[in-house]
Amino acid sequence: MKTVVITGASSGIGLETARLLARLGYNVLGIGRSEANCNKAKELILSENTNAKVEYFLADLMQQREVNRVSEKINAYLNERCNGELHALINNAGCVRSWYMTTYEGYEQQFALNHLAGFLLTYKLLPALKKAQGRVIMTGSDSHKGIKVHWNDVMLRHRYNPLTAYKQSKLCNLLFAKGLNDRFALDGIRAYVVDPGLVNTDIGNKDTGFLVNLIWKIRKKHGVSPDVPAKTYAYLCEVKDVPDGLYFYLCKEKNYSKEVTKENADRLFELSERLCDIQYGKVGMT
Amino acid sequence: MNVMITGAAGGLGRAMANECASRGYNLFLTDINEDGLTCLKQGLERQFGVTVTTMACDLTNTESVDKMLDVIDKHGIRFDMLLNVAGMDYEGEFMGHEREKLVKIVLLNNAATLRITHAIIKRRRPGKKFTIVFVSSLASMFPMPLKATYAASKRFLLDFATSLRQELKRQDVNVLTLCPGGMVTTPGAINGIKAQGFWGDATTNPLEGVVRNTIDRALSGKRLYVPGMLNRILSFLGKIIPSTWVAKVIYWRWKEVSHNGSAS
Ligand SMILES: NC(=O)c1ccc[n+]([C@@H]2O[C@H](COP(=O)([O-])OP(=O)(O)OC[C@H]3O[C@@H](n4cnc5c(N)ncnc54)[C@H](OP(=O)(O)O)[C@@H]3O)[C@@H](O)[C@H]2O)c1
Repeated sequence: MKTVVITGASSGIGLETARLLARLGYNVLGIGRSEANCNKAKELILSENTNAKVEYFLADLMQQREVNRVSEKINAYLNERCNGELHALINNAGCVRSWYMTTYEGYEQQFALNHLAGFLLTYKLLPALKKAQGRVIMTGSDSHKGIKVHWNDVMLRHRYNPLTAYKQSKLCNLLFAKGLNDRFALDGIRAYVVDPGLVNTDIGNKDTGFLVNLIWKIRKKHGVSPDVPAKTYAYLCEVKDVPDGLYFYLCKEKNYSKEVTKENADRLFELSERLCDIQYGKVGMT
Repeated sequence: MNVMITGAAGGLGRAMANECASRGYNLFLTDINEDGLTCLKQGLERQFGVTVTTMACDLTNTESVDKMLDVIDKHGIRFDMLLNVAGMDYEGEFMGHEREKLVKIVLLNNAATLRITHAIIKRRRPGKKFTIVFVSSLASMFPMPLKATYAASKRFLLDFATSLRQELKRQDVNVLTLCPGGMVTTPGAINGIKAQGFWGDATTNPLEGVVRNTIDRALSGKRLYVPGMLNRILSFLGKIIPSTWVAKVIYWRWKEVSHNGSAS
């Protein structure tokens, strides 16, 4: 049985992906921040199939301490019951913030959750991923196009704008995936980014102000149901011949921004390592 | 430049610390939340490579403050700036709260702020300019039913700061009072803003801009900073409209908002 970890698996795209993968026979380990939503999600999946293998872990992934805590729990679980193997990690948890807000580390929240949380979690789970020659899948978005990383101010303390912060964090998803492939393809690990398209979820209505709320309420009506993008994650988990591409929409490769270069990927890798106080090169040595 | 920030682990404190660290200032951070201080110290050092010292302290407790001052003196730390950010509030009717909870607002916002201000001015770096910031609030401009204790405690800071500024003017000290409207510093604050609908967005001051301007203005000798045009108009109205009227209007409005807030 293959094991998959999905962050933000308590609602929206993450939940539908968890449902689909559970149906396909995966051992699903979901992470969410709300106990109520996680319980509901677990019940839903079990109600469809009482034999489904599903477990939820609670963590506010915006906070690095929480990422560290939950990854220890998951590693213990993997070692005990899954032979220390993880076949796929889906870094999907994400948020939108109307205003500049920070985590306990003082990091801007969209950057912290949409990018850094996945960067740190992947690092923590890398030994298990290596063992299973696993895949790392990020939830990106086409909004990553038409923007550059604000290298001199990644936290956007000068002129914060919710959309800029969001777009930049989604560009970081692609740069991180490229960085992972550049470093670990030889170990059998492959990283991908899924463009889910416009999806009808509540992401823009959680912890946002009046304007963002209003815009998203109108916009999401045009979105597809979250079970549509779920198929692309399942495809990337299942497909036997590892595809070369980086960015996928509806199970097909898609073009991505010209900003996704080796230089930018390396630069982000280095910065993120510093902000998480980790070194990918030393994985397994600590 | 050595800067002491109280209430550093909260939303506004973290933003202030980020701003100061980005300018290369060395920081002494205190808060009652020790874990929060540890995380913030890590974040600041990783981002900016400045020296950050932290010490958890309950500013309402004399012994706790004395202990912190001992550490400061032992290391011979001297300061160029003090940012008084620590403060608290419990919203709602005066009689709806426990007695000691209400007293605590004044103990922290006022008594503890005086205590630390006195102690840190004594520990200013000799022969150098010294800067103090008090975080008051737009609430200091009016009597505010349903935030009665909080608003009055912030008024205390505003008046106190103005007087202190005069006393210390010749000693190369500047005192600035920050009176922000709503700022999104905690997840809870978002709900409050949401409940006010359009007006919530309109009166919300962007945190990152407020902290940058606060430091700039404090360093350039300004006395008062009310961020946002709308808030400046409101504070002006607070001065010309009789306070009993203001109290009536505010009571009405907050009743409404707190009703919406709990309904949604
Ligand atoms: N919807 C779209 O059109 C669209 C388009 C492109 C990309 N995306 C991306 O898709 C991903 C999923 O979004 P969605 O649309 O499915 O939104 P969603 O329904 O709000 O899902 C977000 C998930 O992340 C969880 N989460 C939020 N903050 C968290 C935190 N601090 N710690 C741990 N988990 C947290 C949420 O938990 P709760 O259940 O507790 O809220 C939820 O499970 C995001 O990365 C988003 O950027 C969405």
